[in-house]
Amino acid sequence: MSTAIPVLPAADARAGKYLTFFLGTEEYGLEILKVSEIIGMQPVTRVPRVPEFVRGVINLRGKVIPITDLRLKFDMPVVEGRDEVIIVVQMRGVQTGLVVDRVSEVVAIAPEEIEDAPAFGAGIRTEFLLGIGKTGGRVKLLVDIDRVLESSELAAIEHATSAA
Amino acid sequence: MSPRDSGDRPFIATCPFAVSNLTLDDAATLLLQLEPGDLPDLARLRDALTTLVFENRVPIGMQPHVARAARLLGTLVDGSAADTSAVFVDVSRAIEAAMALVDSGASGFTPAATVAVRDDADAATRAVPEVTAAVTPAVADVVPPAPAPSAVVHHVTEDRDLVDTLPDDTDLDLLGDFLTESMDSLAAAEAALLDLEADPANEEAVNTVFRAFHTVKGTSAFLGLGRIAAFAHEAESLLSRVRDHEIAYTRACAELSLASSDMLRALLEVVRDAASHGTVMRVPTGYSALLDALATYDPTHENAAHIQAVTHAVTPSSAPAPATVSPESPAPVKSETVTSAPVTSATVTSAPAAPSVASAPTEDATKRNATREAGGDATIRVRTDRLDRLIDMVGELVIAQSMIAGDTELDVRVQHELARKITHAGKIVRELQDLSMSMRMIELRPTFQKLARVVRDTAVKAGKEVTFSVAGDDVEIDRQLADLLGDPLVHMVRNAVDHGVERPDERVAAGKARTGSVRLHAYHASGNVVVELIDDGRGLHREKIVAKAIEKGLIESDKGMSDSEVFNLIFAPGFSTAEKVTDISGRGVGMDVVRRNLEAIRGRIDITSAPGQGTTFAIRLPLTLAVTDGMLVRVGQERYVVPTTNIHMSFRPEPSMLSSVVGKGEVVLLRGELMPIVRLHRLFDVPSANEDPMNGLLMIVGDAERRTALLVDELLGQQQVVAKSLGGALGKVAGVSGGAILGDGRVGLILDVAETLALANGHAAGAGRAALAA
Repeated sequence: MSTAIPVLPAADARAGKYLTFFLGTEEYGLEILKVSEIIGMQPVTRVPRVPEFVRGVINLRGKVIPITDLRLKFDMPVVEGRDEVIIVVQMRGVQTGLVVDRVSEVVAIAPEEIEDAPAFGAGIRTEFLLGIGKTGGRVKLLVDIDRVLESSELAAIEHATSAA
Repeated sequence: MSPRDSGDRPFIATCPFAVSNLTLDDAATLLLQLEPGDLPDLARLRDALTTLVFENRVPIGMQPHVARAARLLGTLVDGSAADTSAVFVDVSRAIEAAMALVDSGASGFTPAATVAVRDDADAATRAVPEVTAAVTPAVADVVPPAPAPSAVVHHVTEDRDLVDTLPDDTDLDLLGDFLTESMDSLAAAEAALLDLEADPANEEAVNTVFRAFHTVKGTSAFLGLGRIAAFAHEAESLLSRVRDHEIAYTRACAELSLASSDMLRALLEVVRDAASHGTVMRVPTGYSALLDALATYDPTHENAAHIQAVTHAVTPSSAPAPATVSPESPAPVKSETVTSAPVTSATVTSAPAAPSVASAPTEDATKRNATREAGGDATIRVRTDRLDRLIDMVGELVIAQSMIAGDTELDVRVQHELARKITHAGKIVRELQDLSMSMRMIELRPTFQKLARVVRDTAVKAGKEVTFSVAGDDVEIDRQLADLLGDPLVHMVRNAVDHGVERPDERVAAGKARTGSVRLHAYHASGNVVVELIDDGRGLHREKIVAKAIEKGLIESDKGMSDSEVFNLIFAPGFSTAEKVTDISGRGVGMDVVRRNLEAIRGRIDITSAPGQGTTFAIRLPLTLAVTDGMLVRVGQERYVVPTTNIHMSFRPEPSMLSSVVGKGEVVLLRGELMPIVRLHRLFDVPSANEDPMNGLLMIVGDAERRTALLVDELLGQQQVVAKSLGGALGKVAGVSGGAILGDGRVGLILDVAETLALANGHAAGAGRAALAA
């Protein structure tokens, strides 16, 4: 894949509050303004003929919303029987659930604590990252959720996985 | 055709008892001799008056009065009038009002209309300063030369003198619906006209426009808006010539059609204003010219300049200045109208008042809106998405409540006080659920009432004798469905009277009662509402339909077609068995519209008919569009909802019924019909599902031409579900129309059967994609 780092917003635009969560041992951050709620794992209805990382749909108080498994999305191994929670995000009026291992905390990240995601070289996907936050002595990967969920990206991943 | 032709007085004194040739004078005389109890004579008088109106034998200005008299007489005849003597007086008054229009001028009604215009202009003179005084005193300068229009703007005088009034008995609700629907269909027509200009061979576009004009014509005629009906008829005729390839859709023809659409819209605007202010309806500028141009349109002698002039007159910018001063301006008023027509405003007034005039309509519009808002009644409009959300939430509440009630922590023997409270809450929740569902429901009565009039009018026009009866009009149905059901029913009822019921002499000759019967019967049947339209007319003629269908190229022969399949041919576009085109029905749009509209609301229509005995149309509708009737099926661990309307039957096959066709997969033979089997679990890649058709169930789905057997594991039962989108983030999922919250709170997917079958047909490609996703 491309190693080009996407055009990032200015550092101060990235500063703010993030909800952090874990996928395995990696800690990620999600802009708090995009999060509408955190719910426990729900019974999921599988939807046929969609990419594998779309786990299916759930009933969120009478609304049907799709959920995306971030582990699958990020090509990480799926552990059977792991604990999972769903972060419901709202983008452009559309709600979507993200399956993660566990949520951690809400942190404020200052501009000087954010760095651009480095180019790791081919094979490592950084286009979903807004940047890397260093706060409290730990590194948090700040997720660009719009890009993660963009439909064109869905297609791109599909191609990438089938080519791999 | 033009209503103006009837301006010459057709009132020749004839024997007052020759009812068929009765004139208005005769009617008045006759009425004096009658008592409220003389029912047969009153009925004859009513029929005579009705004829006067429908045959345009009285000037259009009088028609509302005469029609009102006829309607009132009708209430006397059928006994629905509460106070017969008061109604009798009203009838006399209505006829007097009509006569007054005759008496007021030697040459018919035109001078009377002129008076009305001037009165109105005076009214405008008085009204406008009040409205605009705050804006600018200059307006007062504009207004005084009000009598000027007839003198100065003489080229439009004839149109400006044409003034209609709304029929006194206009049902404002119906009118409002008619206006909204007509505006929508005209908007669609305009888009289609534009398509047509780009691609003159586009038959679908022609049909769209044609249907729009046709619907406007039918409904406006029913509402007594004779002028609109007359105009729509001409516009429709032009389009029907295009549709039948009699004339080409040339530039000039396009100009005319578009101008007609504009004119219809302008006419509707006038009606809307009249309805909200109770004022007279002034005919938009250019009406007569355009009507003439439509009626006399001849492609071989195309006079482009003439048409241009005519059509140009319709556009708002050429509206004469006086129109913009008057609050009831018929043209679609825009403030730039006046400023772009300085010549006419200068003619009317010497004051350089253009800017202030321009502000007048704006002020006026504000006032108009205020009036409308103030005139609210005991209902409020709620956005449907809020209503839907409310219904969603109540549905969730029901699930949550049943979860609490069924909680294992709850021990009824110990905590009976708590149990009692939970039961109480449950009752409230259920009542709330009923209430939330009923918020969308209305009775069918208004829909049916509309049809009584249609039957009567159509019968009068077609010279039939028909009694109309209704049963089950208290059946409730989703408001949206009731709205959408109206049009198809109007078409069907018209057809039943016009084509179904025979003429009285034919009936007598066939040994039947002289008077035909048309019945509407609504009832609930297995969660659906069924509306039956039953006539005892001549029935459908299989051979005639087949011959027509072959002639139209719809079928090659009727070999192997069942009666019901043959009857269904009448729903094909352009199909009509009536020999002549009447203004009632018989152009072959009707049944086409019927089927489309019914399919749009998930309705199904079945025809049963016996020659000489009559025809029954049974429309089967869901109670509401919000709820889908579905069959819950299990495939592996997954559950799907299959809409019941798609399912013909389901059965467990015998080994002898199954066979496989080389290269074509599996088929099942059921009662001589060979159907392909589609394994849902394979199509949707469901693990651990039953593989053996003998252990599962085959569900027959699809349309009559192409039925398919879906293999599922088992049926879990019938269920009504509320269809929801799967969420914008997922986009369109092939084979799935949406999701539904099932009784246990989980989401079940609703199958889109047509898409699923299409997927199955292109299975090779589909499997590739599924594999890629897995």
